[in-house]
Amino acid sequence: MELQRLGVKFFLHQSSQLELDDLVPVFHSWIQKKVVGDHILVDVHNYSHVPRGPGILLVAHEGNFSMDSGDGRLGLFYYRKQPLEGSLESRLGHIFETTLQAARLLEEESRLGQLHFKTDEFLLVANDRLKAPNTQEVFEQLKPGLSVFLRRLLDGDDFTLSRQEEPGERLTVQVSTGCSDDAEKLLARLS
Amino acid sequence: MRPPKPAGSLLRAFLLIAIFAADPGESEMSTWKDQLAGQIDPAWAEEIDVFETQIEQRRQGKLDEKIFAETRLRRGVYGQRYDNGQRHDGIRAQEISYPSGSLTKGPETAWDAPGMQRIKIPFGGVTPDQMDVLADLAEEYSDSVLHVTTRQDFQLHFVHIDDTPDLMRRLAAAEITTREACGNSVRNVTACPLAGVCRDEPFDVTPYAIAISRFLLGHPDAQDFGRKFKIAFSGCREHACGLVSMHDMGLIAVTKNENGQEKRGFECYVGGGLGAVPHQAKLFDSFLPEEELLPTAQAIARVFARLGEKDIRSRARIKFLVANLGIDEFRRLVLEEREILSEDERWTAYLSDVRDYNERTLREGKGVNPAARPEGFQEWYKTNVYHQRQDDYGVATITLPLGDLSAWQMRELAELARRFAGENVRTTVEQNFVLRWVSQSDLPDLYQELERVGLNEPGAGSILDITACPGTDTCKLGIASSLGLAGEIRTRLAGKFMEMDEAVRNLRIKISGCFNSCGQHHIADIGFYGTSRTFSSRKVPHFQLVLGGKWTENAGSYGLAMGSVPAKRIPEVLERITERYVKERAKGQSFQDFIRDIGKLELRDSLEDLMTVPAYEEDATFYSDWGDPREFTLGDMGIGECAGEVVSLVDFDLAAAERLVFEAQVKLDEEAYPEADELAYGAMLQSARALIKTEFLDVADDPDIVVEEFRKRFYDTEIFHNRFAGGKFADYLFRRHKSPPREHTRDHAHTLVEESQLFIEAAHACWERIAQHQVAAASASGSTAGPSVQ
Repeated sequence: MELQRLGVKFFLHQSSQLELDDLVPVFHSWIQKKVVGDHILVDVHNYSHVPRGPGILLVAHEGNFSMDSGDGRLGLFYYRKQPLEGSLESRLGHIFETTLQAARLLEEESRLGQLHFKTDEFLLVANDRLKAPNTQEVFEQLKPGLSVFLRRLLDGDDFTLSRQEEPGERLTVQVSTGCSDDAEKLLARLS
Repeated sequence: MRPPKPAGSLLRAFLLIAIFAADPGESEMSTWKDQLAGQIDPAWAEEIDVFETQIEQRRQGKLDEKIFAETRLRRGVYGQRYDNGQRHDGIRAQEISYPSGSLTKGPETAWDAPGMQRIKIPFGGVTPDQMDVLADLAEEYSDSVLHVTTRQDFQLHFVHIDDTPDLMRRLAAAEITTREACGNSVRNVTACPLAGVCRDEPFDVTPYAIAISRFLLGHPDAQDFGRKFKIAFSGCREHACGLVSMHDMGLIAVTKNENGQEKRGFECYVGGGLGAVPHQAKLFDSFLPEEELLPTAQAIARVFARLGEKDIRSRARIKFLVANLGIDEFRRLVLEEREILSEDERWTAYLSDVRDYNERTLREGKGVNPAARPEGFQEWYKTNVYHQRQDDYGVATITLPLGDLSAWQMRELAELARRFAGENVRTTVEQNFVLRWVSQSDLPDLYQELERVGLNEPGAGSILDITACPGTDTCKLGIASSLGLAGEIRTRLAGKFMEMDEAVRNLRIKISGCFNSCGQHHIADIGFYGTSRTFSSRKVPHFQLVLGGKWTENAGSYGLAMGSVPAKRIPEVLERITERYVKERAKGQSFQDFIRDIGKLELRDSLEDLMTVPAYEEDATFYSDWGDPREFTLGDMGIGECAGEVVSLVDFDLAAAERLVFEAQVKLDEEAYPEADELAYGAMLQSARALIKTEFLDVADDPDIVVEEFRKRFYDTEIFHNRFAGGKFADYLFRRHKSPPREHTRDHAHTLVEESQLFIEAAHACWERIAQHQVAAASASGSTAGPSVQ
């Protein structure tokens, strides 16, 4: 499957207390320090006034990061805009690695208090209605490659995949697992 | 809406063969072009194919960057801030190293830099199906947010140019075009969002707005303008919905009785516009018969194309042509042109249907049930529902904070429209939506659904419903953060909105990030536009306070700048002015009358303490803008590290110039036009002299010498030139110096006061550039001295 525009969302744990505006200086400092590897960081945009939107957005050439509530739950959403080489599994690896690195940076950021991202549930979003319309057929096509990747990421933990079927929405796969590892551990499995 | 078939299809075919010959067929249906084949009007499809080819030509260096820039602009594809590959990150100016390297999509515009896509929505009318498509595009190509503009368009930000052809195809399949959304063309035709349901209008202007949009889209007579051309329709004179007075061509519906029969026509105005120097439109015809609407528009377009300024961009809007010729001569030329036009059946073909134009109602209108009023409904109903002239139907305004809504909200709103209003959705010039033809009995249910999707905010058309252009958030020309300020004011006012005095609640605030007035600050009760000032070599974001503008009567009068206030003190300014209005106004006194009665001098005195800036060491927050933690810079190229404490002679002189222009405003209010003119001119001379003194301290006071020295040292050398506006601000001085007014009118004096204010702003900016240069030079030579005047 030649799907390129993929996104990943890790939800913020309920215990995390976040004022969205506090993210603005943090994302600006990421640009100053160029902390996101292999990304050309462009700008920060504050959409905290828009319900069910991207919240605070960090725009990069390769892909955008946001503390997003588009699906009604707050979480770190990264979606790729520029194509990646390699198999689906390899591309997923790159996208998850980027997202988890960003999640870890946010968890370590003292200006944000104690943020924690859940790893027992996350989303994979296909941001391309042409190549990946939100149908059961496309979901079935995506499953094998995604499953291979998830077995590596979750190191044997069981997982279930379900498709969100809201009409008009992008193909969104919810991954539910028993995983209790933190972002750093997941990241270690991808390196 | 269908455009005429574009020329050059043969050329396009050759180009496509040349460019794609080496890349034979991808699999079928693998592209949006394949997927949507047959669903797009062939002429539109071909236009988009041509544009895609031009993108490829430019990528291969086979199309000049300036030509490509105008080409993409005419398709609504704009640049965005930082697209020159430079951004100040709060510490230093950093290069954004886009992978496309030196490839550009226009002068100083990096290929890979994200841009803005403007999408034309004639009269603001969208269907739920179109809203779904717009939501999809926002998610896939933009940032999942849709921005409604003050011209009823949509804008998507952070779009890559490579994605624009598919984006356009998907819009075209939904019968939406981006053609002529920008560039020197006829822009989106706007209309009162209440047209057809308004209680005051003599007839519905909607079918006329549709007809003129179709007629002029791609029309050969509207392709050779020096600048853009904006048209607006209003159903009445009294209300502001159409803002006719600030348009290149404004039309107000009127009727007259001829031989016992009602005849439809328009009060037609030309030559209005905001921009840096606003002009009130002039009456072209008090009754332009409906059958003359399109041919007259065509004749106006031809005169504008033929006689309008082409070389000096800042003088190229039709308002300057009308002002130069005078309305009588302009009218004569247009009527002469009208006489020689070849007959076109499209001029009147649509008229056979206009009286049958009706929106399909979805549900039977019934009165609202008093028992079914959920919490919060009453407040929302009071400010956000308009009673249609058709019994038991209402128009619900969906207030969008800062004109934004998320893709999810857009999709949900489309569903609500399907359920409650059918196809009857429009955007407004106040950056909101309206759902029309909602049965009054459905309003409580609609309110509850809007609450579920976060779109139930009350206060439509109130002080909370702030209009703001994108400013420094995404605009290349932005000086200060209009969105940041608007967000801050909204947050502060929202908590006390319910307790506010009614008179204050009904005021309108409009904010622009610079003097160009995209936020329409001239026609607000309280307007602001972004400026910058330098203190101890550090820049401080400021906003000019603009008072006296009139939103009603189709933007009946324009406000004038009162003085520059540090951005961080604007909320205090707002509070002080509104509190005073509440306490001191006479019963029923309008805000404009109140301000006029106090007088600008006293009002300015009362705000003087809020115009000061504390030292950086005392309060550094003044040195960054609202919503942006970076230290404030201009154009993201400033340095601002010098810690010198010297207030330069130039700063003193420029402050004196500001006092002069302020006094000019006072004289203007007093209708002392010769004095206003002289003071405004004097303020420009004072500013020019201030700059000359940085090179030649002993310059004489003689205006001839000042102008000559200024021209030689700052204009010919382009030191005074603005990066985007070139030397236009200097032209204001040269023109007034060369041609003093032969007669003193309010219009002339008003214009000169505006021009003088802009000249002073340009002098400030020029001095900041000189100071930076001096600091950099001093730093390079090891000196720690601040900028100094030699």
